[in-house]
Amino acid sequence: MKQKGHYLSVKESRAIIRHNIKQMKYYEAEKRKPRTLAEYTAPMRDNNNLIEIDSLKTCFFTDTGTVMSVNGVSFDIPKGKIVGVVGESGCGKSVTSLSIMQLVQAPQGQVVEGQIRFNAGDLGQTEDGRNIGYDIAKTPTAEMYRIRGKDITMIFQEPMTSLNPVFTIGYQLDEVSFLHTPGISAGDAKAHSIEMLKKVGISMPEHTYSSYPHELSGGMRQRVMIAMALVGDPKLIIADEPTTALDVTIQAQILELLKDIQKKQGCSIMLITHDLGVIAEMADEVVVMYAGRVIEKGTASEIFHNPLHPYTIGLQKSKPMINSDVNEPLYSIPGKVPSPINLPNSCYFKSRCNKCLAKCEGEYPKGVQVSDTHWVSCYLYEGKADTK
Amino acid sequence: MIEQNKQNPQTDSVPVAKDGGVATASSANEVLRVEHLKKYFPIATDFFGRPTAYLRAVDDISFSLERGKTIGIVGESGCGKTTLGRTILKLYDITGGQIYFEGKNITDLSKSQMKKYRTDMQLIFQDPYSSLSPRMTVGNIIKEAVCQHNIVPKEEVHEYVVDIMKKCGLRPQFYDRYPHEFSGGQRQRICIARALAVKPKLVICDEPVSALDVSIQAQIINLLKELQKNMGLTYIFISHDLSVVKYITDRIMVMYLGNMMEMGDTAGIFKNPLHPYTQALFSAVPAPDPDIKMKRIILEGDIPSPANPPSGCKFHTRCSKCMGVCAAKAPRYVEAEPDHYVACHLYDSEIMDHGEEYDITPYTPPAKSSEAIKSDE
Repeated sequence: MKQKGHYLSVKESRAIIRHNIKQMKYYEAEKRKPRTLAEYTAPMRDNNNLIEIDSLKTCFFTDTGTVMSVNGVSFDIPKGKIVGVVGESGCGKSVTSLSIMQLVQAPQGQVVEGQIRFNAGDLGQTEDGRNIGYDIAKTPTAEMYRIRGKDITMIFQEPMTSLNPVFTIGYQLDEVSFLHTPGISAGDAKAHSIEMLKKVGISMPEHTYSSYPHELSGGMRQRVMIAMALVGDPKLIIADEPTTALDVTIQAQILELLKDIQKKQGCSIMLITHDLGVIAEMADEVVVMYAGRVIEKGTASEIFHNPLHPYTIGLQKSKPMINSDVNEPLYSIPGKVPSPINLPNSCYFKSRCNKCLAKCEGEYPKGVQVSDTHWVSCYLYEGKADTK
Repeated sequence: MIEQNKQNPQTDSVPVAKDGGVATASSANEVLRVEHLKKYFPIATDFFGRPTAYLRAVDDISFSLERGKTIGIVGESGCGKTTLGRTILKLYDITGGQIYFEGKNITDLSKSQMKKYRTDMQLIFQDPYSSLSPRMTVGNIIKEAVCQHNIVPKEEVHEYVVDIMKKCGLRPQFYDRYPHEFSGGQRQRICIARALAVKPKLVICDEPVSALDVSIQAQIINLLKELQKNMGLTYIFISHDLSVVKYITDRIMVMYLGNMMEMGDTAGIFKNPLHPYTQALFSAVPAPDPDIKMKRIILEGDIPSPANPPSGCKFHTRCSKCMGVCAAKAPRYVEAEPDHYVACHLYDSEIMDHGEEYDITPYTPPAKSSEAIKSDE
């Protein structure tokens, strides 16, 4: 389906739709098949990892073609660490997080390949001592209900739209307890919710408990969202751009709070943002994504002090800094993010890259493990360490 | 695009003293001078529809702007920075104060009289997705104002538009395309081209880069700077992103709840922020380096409601250096350093030297958050 002009012909368009329907039917049927426990569990590679994502592919069947939003992403989230995922809009960072939650918009959006292993710790061990984890990509929905909102919770970008305006804050918080702790009394649920509101730094939690979302300010709403994420005592909190809609001063408050909670609860946080400043401040490990692929990952100091991929370097240079020289023009990456439909099997960044090699015209670069923790997907570093 | 705010005729009775003695001579280089500008919105009316309470969105703002310079207006959301920009363009009726454009008082001009000045002042909006008509081609969008104001003879319009597009980094073949075919950065370029097509002298940029990605943001900032150099433009740059403001502006004005808190040249303010609010604002910006562990001044609570602002200094409820006098008396503007003005009692020698008259002991205001507002009900 090569697009020559701007528009698809009727024939092409029909072919795409027919293909989409076939694919969607297939994946939906797959989901409905009854599965045994062995089919949707898998041993973890490392017991210290909470989540292991292995060549995950999530695509959307749209009317203009198949969009590979997440195209072979692999990274780990260790226990008790904050992992930051950076990238520009449309690079697939949100879709990765939604895949972990099994919340990708179906039937258009489907996880087509790969594993997401979640180390719940309640499934026992294999013979060689590895924990068995859920493979979220295959876990049936009924099973997922128990995990989602309890072990894995999510804080969304817009606190304004993610709280239900017709129910009180208390009702929405209690709901989590009722769902995940069978047989809990209403009084206990309320006490627990109020305790969580206290934990996120809301003064007068009893008052907030009985108020409606519109009565709170943006910062307070985001605190309520965090409280809601904490009710189930989660192992992983996914924070999808938690501070983008907030002012800098409120952002500082919320980031401080998230760090504090992570320390106290000992949970892991997957922090998705496009703000490199936030990542530098919060994250222990950083994953840089571009057009649906991970292009570089490493510890925060590796990514910020020794960035390797030209995109990571460009991203850091193009952010105006408070202490930068104002007379020089700001570095900018030329061009724009490629269209996600029918990407060629070569480096997606090559048309914007200033260090492009002849090799870059070839197939998509394999990853290079530069150090134990630092991984980059670029031909520039091939041969500098053993190719993985 | 231009929405003239139809106001109640009663707004004339707003309790504002028109400041006298403002008609000082302006220097030839001055493009814009704003004196004691006020914009109040009526929020409550009595039985006869007369306003009884006002929201003071812009309260007593004064500044002047020279040709080819950029002033940055910084503040949290809801502090009135967008209202200030629109009031300067007279898109809202002015409650009080004066606006001088190139030495002429434009405060009391009618809509038709303003038309002459519309080409001189242009606005670039924040969201390039909603500020372009989806039914018009790029060429028509840019051409519309050019034809309306007869900027160039009719037969040269096409050439002129293409020329402007090239200047803004748009290819001429985009002329017949529609906005939905472009990405955010390209659309912002179209918005810039549209604003610049009428040869303005003053451009008000209302958060032009906050909806864009980092790599695109850098392209747009560079474009704005380059156009300023080539065309001698004057900018009012409204933004909440301090690192961007530092990069593009010559002067900075910090606003809080409609008031000016601090004003001075950019380098001076960044080197030595005086007002506690400015200090907190600067320290809240995360640095893109994991090794820098900054000492944060974290402001407690949220920005108070502008409909019911705190007494005295509006910032005193969140200030870490609050004194007794702050809750009682609104601060004056003091020139703490040459060309660095600040509205804070800490730098007012009259207050600080007369400790016996004014209460300058540390003072903790009662928490005025949403709970406190609720308990009033």
